[in-house]
Amino acid sequence: MAEFWQQVVGGLATGSVYGLLALALVLIYRSTSVLNFAQGEMAMFTTFIAWSILQWGEYWIMFPLVLVIAAGIGALVERVVIRPVEGAPVLNIIIVTLGLFAIFNNLASWRWGGIPKGFPTPPEIHVTGIKFFGGGALDVGPTAVSYHDLTIMIFAVGIMIALYLFFQYTPLGLAMRATAQNPVASRLMGIRVGRMLTVGWALSAVVGAVAGLLIAPLVLLQPPMMMGVLLYAMAAAVVGGLDSPVGAVVGGLIIGVSEALVGTYTPKDLLGPDMKLTVTLVIILVVLLVRPTGIFGRRTLRRV
Amino acid sequence: MLQVRDLVAAYGPIVALHGVSLDVPDGSIVAVLGANGAGKSSTLRAISGLLRPKSGSIKFAGQRIDHLAAEQIVSLGMSHIPEGRQLFAELTVLENLRLGAYSRFARADGGGGLAHRQGLSLLGRLQHDLIQAATGGIRDLARGIREYRQRRQDFDAALNQIFDYFPILAQRKNQISGTLSGGEQQMLAIGRGLMARPRLLLLDEPSMGLAPLITREIFEIVQAINRTQGMTILVVEQNANLALEIAHYGYVLETGRIALADTSDNLRKSEAVRRSYLGQ
Repeated sequence: MAEFWQQVVGGLATGSVYGLLALALVLIYRSTSVLNFAQGEMAMFTTFIAWSILQWGEYWIMFPLVLVIAAGIGALVERVVIRPVEGAPVLNIIIVTLGLFAIFNNLASWRWGGIPKGFPTPPEIHVTGIKFFGGGALDVGPTAVSYHDLTIMIFAVGIMIALYLFFQYTPLGLAMRATAQNPVASRLMGIRVGRMLTVGWALSAVVGAVAGLLIAPLVLLQPPMMMGVLLYAMAAAVVGGLDSPVGAVVGGLIIGVSEALVGTYTPKDLLGPDMKLTVTLVIILVVLLVRPTGIFGRRTLRRV
Repeated sequence: MLQVRDLVAAYGPIVALHGVSLDVPDGSIVAVLGANGAGKSSTLRAISGLLRPKSGSIKFAGQRIDHLAAEQIVSLGMSHIPEGRQLFAELTVLENLRLGAYSRFARADGGGGLAHRQGLSLLGRLQHDLIQAATGGIRDLARGIREYRQRRQDFDAALNQIFDYFPILAQRKNQISGTLSGGEQQMLAIGRGLMARPRLLLLDEPSMGLAPLITREIFEIVQAINRTQGMTILVVEQNANLALEIAHYGYVLETGRIALADTSDNLRKSEAVRRSYLGQ
């Protein structure tokens, strides 16, 4: 039983990373109906920038700095690359994001090389005697939970709460939700729709950057490190409902836990851990058969 | 309040307005009548900046606005309540009303910065926008904190006034607006427009899809808003009878041109209008 819970906790932690990246995808999808295939590569790129900053700086100085840089990159990508194809068929925009995928991947390989690098976990902080972050493990009943897994979960929950408050209670958040629903009416309210899209991309890049920083210690820092994560994140977003931030995180957790359990408990003669991807896909299929819009996806309800 | 001169506007190659001129005096209700496709909605869209005019001029409170974008015009004090209401259907009634007040609180960098931006090259504009994006947030935040109490009071006052006109909205304030009835949706659309505290209200086809009794109720409230607040209103309407009842002046549009213009009393007596639009 101890092993079971061990796997569940581990799954929740990686699931949180999938959820964060899925959240980044959903933020953009909600306002532009575009799946940003470069989301993972942008996160990988900012993680490399973080690694470079770490060569001469403290982790907790690097952290906010990288988030600001990520926001800048996100905003720049929207202004320079996405804005010109705005209004084009969705397929065109998807191709552009695939191009971005290749650009960020090549840029990173060229600047930092392909050799995997170690990436540190956030260093520990003591708040009133309680240890946060850092390495080691915490004994919870029969299972040992690694501090980094806890770190990931704390960040995921924190970001979710922050985004919820932002979208629900600030004028800017409300304006962004309005823009996603009805751009023309938003203009009549005095909302600058273009600026809202820029902010959306910036925000999404920040959330993705956090996902990159948290997963890097587990998978080693290298140009293809986010590919698998992106695949699971897309699965998470689809399971949760592509327009629902809550769904993205819940979908991430479902996928993370099922991935961990299937990897551990599938018998050897049934391919063992190699069944992970298949089972994940079966979960997606079953969910979509029952609820085509995902678990939290909204089926529009309106009277005319 | 509003002077439109020789306004020409088109959707791609299809010309919708062939030189429309009209005046809306301070404190009046002006009705624009006409059949389907005569260019009534296009006129409003051109005035509010949703449709960029090809030529002609639009003056609002003494200022040329025909080169401005819709999101700039609203903060000058003009609210456009569009055809089909265009609510944010998945947001609550209160959230729709909060959005209505958005322009009053986001008047970022007035006319000066925008004029400055238009004079710049493409690269210069990008740089200007990036600096704006970086510094604008901080500046807005600082101003937001400074003026929070004042804005809160403003907002609550505007909200209470709208709940006075439309008590049903107060009851429904946490309901998703897409689930309101048609009449309630129209009331919300008008309320949302009023949250901007406009000097001029552009009202597009408020009777669309509504039962006659509800239409009458809405027109009575529109008239009350004009009388009690002295708000200037430009209303586009197919129901000519009702529109001329509350309006001071009327224009009749035919295929993108003004065919008739007169006081509403004279229009109601006019033989041509009676035959074509009043069904008598």
